[in-house]
Amino acid sequence: MAKDAFDRRAFLKGAAASAAAVIGTQMAANSPAQAAETSSEGNEKPPSRDKIISRPGSDFMVDVIKATGIEYVASNPGSSFRSLQESIINYGGNKKPEFLTCMHEETSVSMAQGYAKAAGKPMGIMAHGTVGLQHAAMAVYNAWCDRVPVVMFAGNFLDAAKRRPGVEWYHCVQDPAALLRDFIKWDDQPLSLQHFAESMMRAYKIATTVPMGPVLITADGVIAEGPISDEKKLSIPKLTLSIPPQGDSGAVSEAAKMLVAAQNPVILADRACRSQEGMKHLVELAEALSAPVIDIGGRMNFPMNHYLCRSGDRRALVGQADVALLLEVADPWGQFNTVSDPHHEYRRLAKPDVKVIHISLGDTLTKSNYQDMQRFMPADLPITGDAQATLPALIEAVKKATQRGAFANRAAKLREDHGRMKDRARAAASVGWDASPCSTARMSAQLYDLIKKDKWCLAVSSVQWNRNLWPATEYHNFIGGSGGAGQGYGSGAAVGAALANRDKGILTVSIEGDGDLMYAPGALWTAAHHKIPFLMIVHNNRAYHQEVMHLQKMAALHNRRMDTAAIGTTIEKPNVDFAKLAQSMGVWAEGPISDPTAIGAAFSRALAVVKRGEPALVDVVSQGR
Amino acid sequence: MSKLFFSALMIVAVSTAYAQEKVSGSSERGYQSYMKYMCYTCHGTVGQGADRGTGPKLAPYPLPWGAFEQQTRLPRQDMPPYRKEFVSDQELADIYAYISSLKPGSEAKDLPLLNF
Repeated sequence: MAKDAFDRRAFLKGAAASAAAVIGTQMAANSPAQAAETSSEGNEKPPSRDKIISRPGSDFMVDVIKATGIEYVASNPGSSFRSLQESIINYGGNKKPEFLTCMHEETSVSMAQGYAKAAGKPMGIMAHGTVGLQHAAMAVYNAWCDRVPVVMFAGNFLDAAKRRPGVEWYHCVQDPAALLRDFIKWDDQPLSLQHFAESMMRAYKIATTVPMGPVLITADGVIAEGPISDEKKLSIPKLTLSIPPQGDSGAVSEAAKMLVAAQNPVILADRACRSQEGMKHLVELAEALSAPVIDIGGRMNFPMNHYLCRSGDRRALVGQADVALLLEVADPWGQFNTVSDPHHEYRRLAKPDVKVIHISLGDTLTKSNYQDMQRFMPADLPITGDAQATLPALIEAVKKATQRGAFANRAAKLREDHGRMKDRARAAASVGWDASPCSTARMSAQLYDLIKKDKWCLAVSSVQWNRNLWPATEYHNFIGGSGGAGQGYGSGAAVGAALANRDKGILTVSIEGDGDLMYAPGALWTAAHHKIPFLMIVHNNRAYHQEVMHLQKMAALHNRRMDTAAIGTTIEKPNVDFAKLAQSMGVWAEGPISDPTAIGAAFSRALAVVKRGEPALVDVVSQGR
Repeated sequence: MSKLFFSALMIVAVSTAYAQEKVSGSSERGYQSYMKYMCYTCHGTVGQGADRGTGPKLAPYPLPWGAFEQQTRLPRQDMPPYRKEFVSDQELADIYAYISSLKPGSEAKDLPLLNF
């Protein structure tokens, strides 16, 4: 043990016993630790409460975290990881990583999810090993389903003899990861600092290896708070990241032949692209084949204004297709089949003999309990590989197998079809344009009009118009959805994405459902406190509208009255004043606004605030969907 | 096109078979019933429909009464049936009067915000 070592818990325990036994004697002098030091060195030492640990284990942990390049750690403060928090702030200078104060662990993780998708690298979060991870669990599940890396640190005191009585026992656990192990990629509970260094590097590498996902490292409190015993023996392994694997070359050639031979090929892309480069490859492939692309939206995969983008025509195109190329599609079965609601009757959407090629790593990361793997559907040509990494080889194989101009006759019709799809979307958006509450189409169009000259990111959206109408062309424009459809994602994810975009000069906006925001409004405080600029438009329809139909379906199924569906589904009486809620946390806000002619000016004022570097919120009382 | 034609033919055929004599309706009462039964949840307060295909557009230019009644009482696809026991013929006629009263607004080509 180092000279400045001090066992604080032993001191407190000993001091309490001594105080009871010897009244009027200095408590510190009677502590076992103090007694030992006095006798070994023969001199009277200052009271042990003055002793320090100048180089705690948590300092080394910070060195390790810095070595990964993690820039932020989002957390609600907690005593089980207090030493690590203190080291991040004072030893690490609260920079790379910077401690971000969160109001809820669910927000910490959803922030990390949004950040990772916008930044292209993970953020850290810290939480108590018990209550903190319990709070975080739903958001971790979202990140897992969304295949997003999050590096989580759990505080814990594994050594029961070192725990303070009471709360610390409630906050400790034999196996912190047990709660999450069904939906994280990897975890470890290191028992030494060297163990921590190696497991941290392993965790980061596993989290960022495709398919990506959350990981958990327990930062044991005894190791973190105690002194480093022999730092010369410690080393931090080099961090090297995995290269995404390309699909088998023979299988890629076979896929190219099938696609070239097809009369009506269609491409469906979900979590296919990780960058603008990936989008560029997908455009090249689609153009080489003259094949329409359906961007399912797990990530931004395809430019919305490209004539081969046909995301709004999925059912028709899948129904006509003779060959379908799926690129990292989370729910393949659901693209070709459906089940009616509420009678659960099966219906096929595609031709019975459509040939399916699926380039995916989905089978390499699946577990049994949680059913995010979706219904089983055998592909005719399943290719295990990363979609983006495989695209260049597939493009080359397609070009090799194609005669120049072979598909030219398809292109003209596809251009017309794309135009018709856009016209239909615009016509649909125009209906109810002047309605009050404001139509979601108008709200969406008004927002786009004000951000279209900037580099923009719509981090979260509870409405779909942006995907049908906005001519998005850049990878950073959209970051996909929550993954697991767990409520409470939107506010944190938008703040996380805005944090990543702040440094890139990208303007972040979000259209946030009122119900979702009520799960985790504290994210607004985090944005205000850390000056994370973004515009949140509250799609305030004063209900969980999706649930209304579910209730009405059940009432009809049970042959009961239909006018009670508001019970348990609406958020009225009282109405929530989201502007006041935001203002109370230091966020500039306006609303509620019901007049559709007033939203443009309100959005403009809010965007001026955002461009000054602060968050802003506009509460728009709007149509259900 | 042939599928669309067939679907339209089926709607007309089935609705003709189903259609009852239409009760006279009031658009004012219809609005109240439209809100009471929360039709707006999927179809919007002015029948504009929803953006995710969850509720088709009802207005302007609603379906003929027979097809409307058919779709409400014995719907195709995922919409729940609104049976007579719970939504009376009068209420349904009022709702129809309400959506029939909704006038068309500006066309998309005339809305600058939709032309980018």
